Amino acid sequence: MDVPYAVYLHIPFCRHRCAYCDFNTYAGQEDSLSSYVQALCNEIQAVGAGVSLPVRVGSIFFGGGTPSLLTSAHFRDIFQSLYRAFEILPDAEISMEANPGTVTLAALEQLRALGMNRLSFGVQSANPNELRLLERIHDYSDVVNAVLWARRAGFDNLNLDLMYGLPEQTLADWQKTVNLVTGLDPQHFSAYALTLEHGTPFGRWASRGLMPTPDPDLAAEMAEWVRDFWAEQGYEHYEISNWAKINDGFKMQNEKFDSSFRIYYSAFVCRHNLQYWRNLPYFGLGAGAHGYAGGVRYSNVLRIKTYIERVRAGGAAVRWPLTAAAVNQIPIHRETEMDETMMTGLRLVQEGVADAAFTARFGVSLREMYGREIDELLGFGLVEWKTSGDSGVLRLTRRGWLLGNQVFMRFLRGY
Amino acid sequence: MTDHIRNFCIIAHVDHGKSTLADRLLQVTGTISDRDMTEQVLDTMDLEREKGVTIKASAVRMNYHAADGRDYELNLIDTPGHVDFGYEVSRALNACEGAVLVVDATQGIEAQTLANLYQALSADLEIIPVINKIDLPSARPDEVAEDIAALIGGNAAEVIRISAKSGLNVEQVLEAVVRKVPPPSGEDQKPARALVFDSHYDSYKGVVCYVRVIEGTLSANETIRLMATGVEVKPIEVGIFAPTMKPVSRLKAGEVGYVATGLKTVHDARVGDTITQANAPAAEPLPGYFHPKPMVFAGIYPVDAEDYSDLRESLEKLQLNDASLTYEPETSQAIGFGFRAGFLGLFHMEIIQERIEREYDLDVLFTAPSVEYEVGMSTGETLRIDSPAQLPDESKVTEIREPWMNIEIITPTDFYGTIMDLVIKRRGTFKSQEYPAPHRVQLNFEIPLAELIVDFFDELKSRTKGYASLDYQFLAYRADALQKLEILVNGEPVDALAAIVHEKDAYHKGQALITKLKDLIPRQLFDVAIQASSGGRIISRANVKAMRKDVLAKCYGGDISRKKKLLEKQKKGKRRMKMVGNVEIPQEAFMAVLKLGAD
Repeated sequence: MDVPYAVYLHIPFCRHRCAYCDFNTYAGQEDSLSSYVQALCNEIQAVGAGVSLPVRVGSIFFGGGTPSLLTSAHFRDIFQSLYRAFEILPDAEISMEANPGTVTLAALEQLRALGMNRLSFGVQSANPNELRLLERIHDYSDVVNAVLWARRAGFDNLNLDLMYGLPEQTLADWQKTVNLVTGLDPQHFSAYALTLEHGTPFGRWASRGLMPTPDPDLAAEMAEWVRDFWAEQGYEHYEISNWAKINDGFKMQNEKFDSSFRIYYSAFVCRHNLQYWRNLPYFGLGAGAHGYAGGVRYSNVLRIKTYIERVRAGGAAVRWPLTAAAVNQIPIHRETEMDETMMTGLRLVQEGVADAAFTARFGVSLREMYGREIDELLGFGLVEWKTSGDSGVLRLTRRGWLLGNQVFMRFLRGY
Repeated sequence: MTDHIRNFCIIAHVDHGKSTLADRLLQVTGTISDRDMTEQVLDTMDLEREKGVTIKASAVRMNYHAADGRDYELNLIDTPGHVDFGYEVSRALNACEGAVLVVDATQGIEAQTLANLYQALSADLEIIPVINKIDLPSARPDEVAEDIAALIGGNAAEVIRISAKSGLNVEQVLEAVVRKVPPPSGEDQKPARALVFDSHYDSYKGVVCYVRVIEGTLSANETIRLMATGVEVKPIEVGIFAPTMKPVSRLKAGEVGYVATGLKTVHDARVGDTITQANAPAAEPLPGYFHPKPMVFAGIYPVDAEDYSDLRESLEKLQLNDASLTYEPETSQAIGFGFRAGFLGLFHMEIIQERIEREYDLDVLFTAPSVEYEVGMSTGETLRIDSPAQLPDESKVTEIREPWMNIEIITPTDFYGTIMDLVIKRRGTFKSQEYPAPHRVQLNFEIPLAELIVDFFDELKSRTKGYASLDYQFLAYRADALQKLEILVNGEPVDALAAIVHEKDAYHKGQALITKLKDLIPRQLFDVAIQASSGGRIISRANVKAMRKDVLAKCYGGDISRKKKLLEKQKKGKRRMKMVGNVEIPQEAFMAVLKLGAD
């Protein structure tokens, strides 16, 4: 399989940590921005230098943290390193996460000129009380401005991130947020249910009874409502938490690197995320970044300063594409790869896992491998077989999409 | 000549310091060097040390040079410190001529102090009263000494005051043993009779019997006979505990030691049996042998059905060492293949449960304990059942009889009212009261055993701030208006959740159980209806609604491993539950009936 790689770059800086967030990000370390970017460029170079053949890259994703805190000069350096290290395909998707409160028209224009072609704004909510509770630094007018500026700067592929199932949020509150943001007509939505993570302010408040715990049944109602609403609005629900706007007459079918048989009717399905869900390789660069390539899942050291020091010190690469920043690595054997292919692939609610693709990849059919699990899940009505092209496709049912864990866990056999 | 031998034991209420005193005696006599001293040598099982009680008796020989200038051989026989092991205690007492009665200077006389004392007196032992823990700030030795003197007669000033922990006055205990405990009588020339007061299984030497030779001698050269079981065997060796096993050529009348029999199971050499010589047997065994019967029964099931044979093996091994443990295969319609096991009491059951989990590393599920019922059938026959699931159709049953117990509760008088209230709620009846010491009352009740095994002891402790103590003995089987309380999950009765309850308790117990189960049974992929039924009608119902949402949201920067870990954790939790039909029921649910409380 000659699959292009995806590249994830982690920018672990935030002006303020949101109250629900347990990602690897730090507030108040902006002093280190420039040396961090320098280290990131060095790490990119180290990965590129680790192989003789050119490494083809189909998508690049700047995640965080808040990548929009970087200056255009930082981005220019990073892009230079990326183009030097890899063969970036002409139609590559190049995305960046941005906080709507941190962008300007000028900065967005410069980014577009550098080749950035997709933006993902962390909107979360249009409700001022909810934004305050989440401790977001922006308000909804920032979102409107950010979207307008992004369009003016030439971005025609925008994602808005939303959160539901918030403490004290009613169905009506959620509907209002969704109505407002849908009016902005973005190409893509992500909607995530809030999880109370251990070690975050939200986790502490909830465990001390200072904040009501969100009701999972209400969150389910919100999810079901938004799915129907966006379907009416012309969005294709392609992953558990992701929707993409359908283009008239567009079909993305069997690209040469596409191991699936799914036809997408939207040009805006996030390619980078497809790479994860199809269990295909990606590099993880930056502090705390995770990668999966060369048969290994690996992750880099979490802290910014340690990351910079490690990359600066360099040293012999343990194993391509790991760099001196890597601190964890797990070799993925065939059986594990199969399980993970199921766990991630079934998140693609339309595409699912195609039997033909699975058989081509592993030399064994879904039935042979997971007959018992599949039968049990069919019995519960959580998965279904669909015919797509000339292959059977296993995918979540309408009922199954909100009960994904019950499905995924059955495919993990504990290797 | 047995003049230089003293055989004695230490008796005490649990936690009054029996094991600590034993340790100190071993140190003072130099039996164990300070260097080798692990805390509480006599309690060899880890579990005993953790629970702070002696589960199995043990024996050790100490050499002591007394103040009178002579050398003595002191055999200390340790006795189990819990009510479940009353019979083993009585056998150990019969191997002695004297008993050191230890009373905690802060707690005073308690239920087992009395129970053990009465047993010691009926075994005709010389009592040496000792007050322990006199170094504690809350000690009130004068008061306790008066109480003891009043109880056993004699002078309060003669009660030895010690701190076993610091070693204070511990020598005085040894001196008193030498002076007051009579040497054993018994002639070497008579046919041998040795009392088995304990045994353990050793993988090299087979069953090792702990014996007190009453008459005659035993040697490894002569075939022995166990008179109750009739088993004859040539022993591998005879020896003494010094304190580890040390072979000797023969054990003479009056001596305490061991016989390594080579037998494969403790069932062939039970506690209370008499060992004699096969070629010159005694005419009569020693009196008092009996085989203690299990009183409490519970189902033991492997959580993972694949562990069934491992569970059987662990029970087999535990039984090698524990003749009181019984078990037989049992099949539950709801939870599959397992065993029905019998225990001497609830405490015994807890020990077995912990040993299975800890020593054999098995995940097991214990169903709520039950007693053995006698069921009078309309055909005239009597059925004995030890599980609610075995109760026949009620139309064929004329009456159900259950075991009743005599219980003695000793408590500060302040708690009189709350204890009365507890016992009456548990269907008990008041019999009499005594005042063994000032401010202490002994309340005597009769109560169904079934009420006793459902957290009665915990409730007693909590109502009396831990001051009350309890002792119990079997009384009789009595008929009462008992009926089955069944739990149905999605319409199917779950045999392992059934209980036998009194008619007047059926309604509120059914309701309480359903409320508990509704909290304990997690939401599943479908609605789960739970119902309680008794006397042919549904008395309570609840619905565990199907889960609607269970999915991990974001994949942060491709961190698949973390997602996977969370799913694996979830899956592991699921595996620890028991599938009943297609409903997953957590283990706690099977014990829920125990947690209903008395309200």
